[in-house]
Amino acid sequence: MDTMAAIKQTFFQECEEQLAELEQGLMTIEREEGDVETINAVFRAVHSIKGGAGAFGLDDLVRFAHTFETTLDGMRSGKLDATPQIVRLMLRSADILADLVRISRDGGEPDQARVAQMSDELSRAGGAHAAPVPEAMPQPLIGDGFEADEFGFAPTPVAFDFGADADSEPADTGVDEFGFAPVAISFDTLVGDVEEAGQTYDIVFKPAPGLYAKANDALRLLRELGRLGDMTVTCETDTVPLLSELDPEGAYLTWKIELKTDAAETAVREIFEFVEFDCELSIARRLNLDGTADVVAQPMEDLVPADEPVEVLAPIAPVTVAEIAPPAERTSPAAASQPVQAATAQQPTIRVDLDRVDRLIDLVGELVINQSMLAQRVTEAGIARLSDVAVGLDDLENLTREIQDSVMAIRAQPVRPIFQRMSRVVREVADMTGKSVRLVTEGENCEVDKTVIERLADPLTHMIRNAIDHGLESPEKRVAAGKPEQGVVRMIAAHRSGRVVIEVSDDGAGINRAKVREIAIGKGLIEENLQLTDSEIDDLIFAPGFSTASTISDVSGRGVGMDVVRRSIQALGGRITITSRPGKGTTFTLSLPLTLAVLDGMVVTVAGQTLVVPLSAIVETLQPKASEVHSLGESARVIAIRGSFIPLIDVGSVLGYRSDEAQPTHSVAVLVETENQSQCALMVDGIIGQQQVVIKSLEANYGHVFGVAAATILGDGRVAVILDVDAIVAGSRSEAARADAIRKRNAA
Amino acid sequence: MSLLAQLRILVVDDTTTSRLLLRDALETLGFRNIQVAPDGEQAMKMMMTTPSHLIISDMNMPKMNGLQLLHAIRTYKPTSRTPFMILTGSPDRAVLDEGRKLGLNNYLTKPFNPDQLRRALEAIVGKLH
Repeated sequence: MDTMAAIKQTFFQECEEQLAELEQGLMTIEREEGDVETINAVFRAVHSIKGGAGAFGLDDLVRFAHTFETTLDGMRSGKLDATPQIVRLMLRSADILADLVRISRDGGEPDQARVAQMSDELSRAGGAHAAPVPEAMPQPLIGDGFEADEFGFAPTPVAFDFGADADSEPADTGVDEFGFAPVAISFDTLVGDVEEAGQTYDIVFKPAPGLYAKANDALRLLRELGRLGDMTVTCETDTVPLLSELDPEGAYLTWKIELKTDAAETAVREIFEFVEFDCELSIARRLNLDGTADVVAQPMEDLVPADEPVEVLAPIAPVTVAEIAPPAERTSPAAASQPVQAATAQQPTIRVDLDRVDRLIDLVGELVINQSMLAQRVTEAGIARLSDVAVGLDDLENLTREIQDSVMAIRAQPVRPIFQRMSRVVREVADMTGKSVRLVTEGENCEVDKTVIERLADPLTHMIRNAIDHGLESPEKRVAAGKPEQGVVRMIAAHRSGRVVIEVSDDGAGINRAKVREIAIGKGLIEENLQLTDSEIDDLIFAPGFSTASTISDVSGRGVGMDVVRRSIQALGGRITITSRPGKGTTFTLSLPLTLAVLDGMVVTVAGQTLVVPLSAIVETLQPKASEVHSLGESARVIAIRGSFIPLIDVGSVLGYRSDEAQPTHSVAVLVETENQSQCALMVDGIIGQQQVVIKSLEANYGHVFGVAAATILGDGRVAVILDVDAIVAGSRSEAARADAIRKRNAA
Repeated sequence: MSLLAQLRILVVDDTTTSRLLLRDALETLGFRNIQVAPDGEQAMKMMMTTPSHLIISDMNMPKMNGLQLLHAIRTYKPTSRTPFMILTGSPDRAVLDEGRKLGLNNYLTKPFNPDQLRRALEAIVGKLH
């Protein structure tokens, strides 16, 4: 039953689309921006899921979809008002429907109690309109996926009694119920004149020079045409000039093609879709062997009885269709000349196993490494920059980068689905906490690597929960503070300088800094008399073991804190920062790489080790002069750059490569800016150069090391670590702060 | 030549799943000449260029439902007598009454199996074999 399995897969894919449409539609209705078509679309989504589920005998799904559909039908027919409560109920039902779809796909047991409760609520909401849902639907007969519906009858497709052929059917059949008897058509009428299956098209195809100039290939078009059926091609070469007069970029050939095919004319035309302005083309359908038809297809006269005059018609005016349904939106004047156009011209797509794409990405990674090794070897061999070999290598480098970008683009996907998933989280948490919340999303079309998207779900879920549970105040408190009762959680995605930035913010009370400080001292995270800036206090909530939940609520807490969120974001090569304003709310900002595979880095040496500093963090590099370096206290040193003092960090001692201190005047200072805009200067021994490196995860192959984001393989084949600039800066700051505090205490 | 080999059928449905299921069922019955359209407009266009001998259409579709398509088919002279069958997931008396007025030949409820489809078709065109 291979076909069925394949169709089932398609069904589940389509379900996901319909579920998304359902949720979007309901949210539109919730915002009171919906119209009749929105309600229809919502109804249709549930109806289609039910229809497909019936075909595969997914009873739980069919039953729930049926109840849901019945209530939606009440809304559609105007018998049920779309009050906020009703729409919320529908949204929760949509969540249950989504669960049932996924359980049908992946296995598992549905939470029957919850499903039953929701069904009850739906039926009650449907009220008088809803037909009572039978306690239990009868099991479909074997191989006969029929279920009794609310009319209490098992429909039969035909009124004719085929005697022994008939299934055992209840007495009241569909025919009795609806009084519908099939309308038969005489067999002879149909067969009398039915033309043979398939048709013959006569196609004349004369490319213009532009067709070849745009890199189209006449041969390829003919090959595609041949796939539609049997084809006879003749090529007219009379117009080809003598070789001396031949323009190599000219077009001299005309093909005449006789194509026997079952395909519709649209399919034949589609092949020439991209070249129609660069060729002369005529496609005519042959009616029979003794004449050729016009391009206008001959209407179907076989079914018109002979005593009626046969009209030969021009193509139908769109009016007929328009009387019944409004024509599709015309977006371009070009479309207007073709009255009946496909409503949506979809980009052709192809499904590829992810494994294949990943294999390709791995190979491209190796290619990048290989190319940089080769470039290095050539440089070492002392080959002149302008020699053919070096120039060829430059071309190879450009090509490699282009291949890399293209391959990365294959994996890029919009963040939309994950944003949509969050609206469900918001609903659930709002229900649990008794708060009223609205989710606002922006930038859903931002594209990020598929893996990044997949691994964002958990951290985002946790952040949204936090925002509602800890960020937003209770409705009473909000009203008392002069805020609208409904809290707002915002998710915004945007591309910024080669990274994607996602902000999750709430308009709640902001971070209670006094309390955070108190908790941190209580848990021994900071010294009691340590002076901290506001942003340092805010950062404490990322500290391992910190949790603000005084009572462990059902929602957040339970030991998963923001430290886990921060770690999972860092594992993606991302950073997370927080800003908060008392009474106004809190914003978490995630900054993520667009892809996990490569990064532009500056290769530096420290104490004989080769390290890579991510280029995205570097502001500039400079050679410190003795006059610019100042000591603060015993361990802290700063460098004066354009009138401001920037802390100097000795990378070698922070990472434990050496115990003695580096001399700033013998070092190179790499000025970096961290995610929260604080600047620091990293002291390194020397700079080797800039290079694109392929990221190899350290966590996947070894484990987490402080100050190290990942590793890479350099052009000469050596392994180098990639610095985690933020961690090093943060580490040395707290180090300096601690040292300072200890010094002060000893002095006191 | 049997009717099966000659009859060209147009399947109209907005969901890929249903189109595939119906196509699969028709192929199981032995039909080899099946065209598909995702919506009523496309269906009309196909009936004008490569007319089919029989139409099986879903009821619930965006922009143009099964009855509206039936109306369009019946008001276009060359297809005014083309046999038309509606597939529906929720049979409804009002819809079928309306269908009868417009000249609906038969209907079939979802879900269906190939045998039921065969009988529904035979009720319109007679024995297929």
